[in-house]
Amino acid sequence: MNPNANTVSVADAAEFCALVTEELGVALTPQDLDRPLDDFPEWDSVYLLRLVTVVESVTGRRIPVADLIEAATFRQMHEAAVRA
Amino acid sequence: MTLRAHMTTTEHDHAPPPSAPAPGSDAAGPPRTGGDGIGDHRGGDALAALRAAYAAGRLEAEYDTVRTLLARLPERQLAAAGQLLARLDRSLVRSRHPATPTLAVRITGQSTVGPLVAPLTAQLARHGILLAPVVSPYGSCLHDLLAPRAAAPDAPGLTLCLLDAHTVFEEVPSPWRVADVEAAVRSRLELLGRAVRTHQEGDGGPLVLNTVPLLRDHTHQLVDLRSRAALGAVWREFNTGLLALAQHHPGLVVIDLDPLIAQGIPAYEPRTAVYAKARLGDRLLAAYAREAGHLARARLGKTRKCLVLDLDGTLWGGVLGDDGPDGIEIGSGLRGEAYAEFQRTLKQLSSQGVLLAVSSKNDADNVLRALREHPAMPLREGDFIQINANWRPKHDNLRDIADSANLGLDGFVFVDDSSFERGLVQERLPEVAVVAVDEEPALHTPALLADGWFDVTDLTEEDRERTARYRTEAKRRELREDAPSYQEYLNGLDIEASLSPPTPSELTRVAQLTLRTNQFHLATERLRADDVQRLCARPGHRVLAVRARDRFGDHGLVGVVFLRRDGAVLRIDNYVLSCRVFSRGIESACLTAVLEHARATGARSVLARYLPSPRNAAFAGFYTDHGFASEGAGHADDDACFFRHGLHTLPPPPAHIRLHADFEQEHQP
Repeated sequence: MNPNANTVSVADAAEFCALVTEELGVALTPQDLDRPLDDFPEWDSVYLLRLVTVVESVTGRRIPVADLIEAATFRQMHEAAVRA
Repeated sequence: MTLRAHMTTTEHDHAPPPSAPAPGSDAAGPPRTGGDGIGDHRGGDALAALRAAYAAGRLEAEYDTVRTLLARLPERQLAAAGQLLARLDRSLVRSRHPATPTLAVRITGQSTVGPLVAPLTAQLARHGILLAPVVSPYGSCLHDLLAPRAAAPDAPGLTLCLLDAHTVFEEVPSPWRVADVEAAVRSRLELLGRAVRTHQEGDGGPLVLNTVPLLRDHTHQLVDLRSRAALGAVWREFNTGLLALAQHHPGLVVIDLDPLIAQGIPAYEPRTAVYAKARLGDRLLAAYAREAGHLARARLGKTRKCLVLDLDGTLWGGVLGDDGPDGIEIGSGLRGEAYAEFQRTLKQLSSQGVLLAVSSKNDADNVLRALREHPAMPLREGDFIQINANWRPKHDNLRDIADSANLGLDGFVFVDDSSFERGLVQERLPEVAVVAVDEEPALHTPALLADGWFDVTDLTEEDRERTARYRTEAKRRELREDAPSYQEYLNGLDIEASLSPPTPSELTRVAQLTLRTNQFHLATERLRADDVQRLCARPGHRVLAVRARDRFGDHGLVGVVFLRRDGAVLRIDNYVLSCRVFSRGIESACLTAVLEHARATGARSVLARYLPSPRNAAFAGFYTDHGFASEGAGHADDDACFFRHGLHTLPPPPAHIRLHADFEQEHQP
């Protein structure tokens, strides 16, 4: 399980935002979920894979990485993570 | 192997495998059966405190608390802390905390190297160092090494060049045979060798490479076992070649990743490797960052020097006061063997210059009897520079040991099995590194070695003699206490000193003095052996080594004066003297010799440079005390102050020192 936070699920969008903010240091609020990723210039594939690692440690399930890479917004990433 | 099988053993599992120690400061070391309740609790608080300060935008202003918070953080939480610290506004941290040392580090490699930034930020922050990273684009390591000046006009403080299996396999065709890998290994080694040479000769600064793990995903593409064995041999040839490069280049360090992987850390994560081209796993990068952090610390002159140990439960099992010297567990029996093994590790460290001392709540006579008379005790009284067995608080004892040895507490590491004692020392003396051991003595050694607190790039003969020298110092102290006055003590020491250029074999020691000395280091500048060699050879420059001995023994090479002729002015660019020998007039005798030399060779004045540092303030008045006049700053040089001596009346040389000064360069290589 994720050792660093109290989060135990990412089903909820707010929890997903908290996870991104705490584990990746990228400040994300539910209002940002539908903004294009281009609005986050620091966001790159390395962050994305760190997100995969963290979400997997929370949910215990494997994330389809390619789906996340193709996501254009954090909401789409969240949906892919929840689907898994 | 299925992807799923990978995942169960790779990065999503942050917790260390049961067999591997999980390094970290307070929560350092091995998995604990009962868990360190206090440490864990405070660790959670520490990450929460970091996050709260960051969220409130206060972390830059409160950066001075970061080091203490990180010391309480368990290893597994450092990654999250690093992500956060890497996003701080560095210029704001520097303006709020100007004394914080910053290290510019170029991070380059054969793959995507960005993931190293966060763990390296966290590791340097543990040592109070602010990381200023310059991250090279994907795969630019050869370019960066071959054109160091183009990559960065100012050489960075450190260049980390991350190598991985792709370094070799990008040259291997598909499908492949072992002979193809062998050819790639040869050509890559040749190319890397050339790149390292170019980088080092081009003054690119200190450089770090690493050995490359052989992946099962490569070996098992070969179905016949004979070929697999051949691939293994060829691969080791590559790593042996990399390690050998470090023997030829004093500015190169090669970090061996094998021991890190042997702790149970996966070498890579297949998806990160494929999708992000980041071919070394997160946890391996974290372990690498830990090694690099200690290297950076050594590079900035912050190497730890003294290891203070508790006794009961740390050096032996049982309670000496209750069980008596014959009843403690050491040497024989299962646990006794384990404690003996730990003591032998300490003896090994001590043989390389790490000073050992004791702080124990015990009766002093009992302790001495155990150390002198116990038949199976690997460490003896003579292995310690000081034994403080008493009932005073341990932080007072650490201060006392630091005062006697004339060392700063930031050079101390403290080991204790009691979380109470550790917590108290950590709270009272945050500059001391605290290592936790517990009731399982077989885990003491991995807990201590989890961090390379005493790492140096090179060891000198001086290091091997260090404990003996500090013990001789105790005899000098006795003479001082018996002497009617300090001058009579100095007269009784019968000091002999010499001042002349270093021999080639002394260059490493000269560099080491610049790296380790913090107090009498008048214009603090850290140099490597090849820097010193270059300075010696530069026209107009003169490097002079100070050596000293007295009736108690030879101090060896204890100081360096850096001179530079600038027309009619002789400049003292820097002056370093080991803390072992100051206040004995040696610094004055050598300065007088420099002034006499200046006058004899037609100089009109001597201009000395003093650069304030957090640790050298005690010597801010050194030059004015010797008849120099302050010229203030304003020589287009950072915060440096300048002092001029007109050479009309020279200070008298101290009468109690016989100095042999020879400024000629005949010892030059």
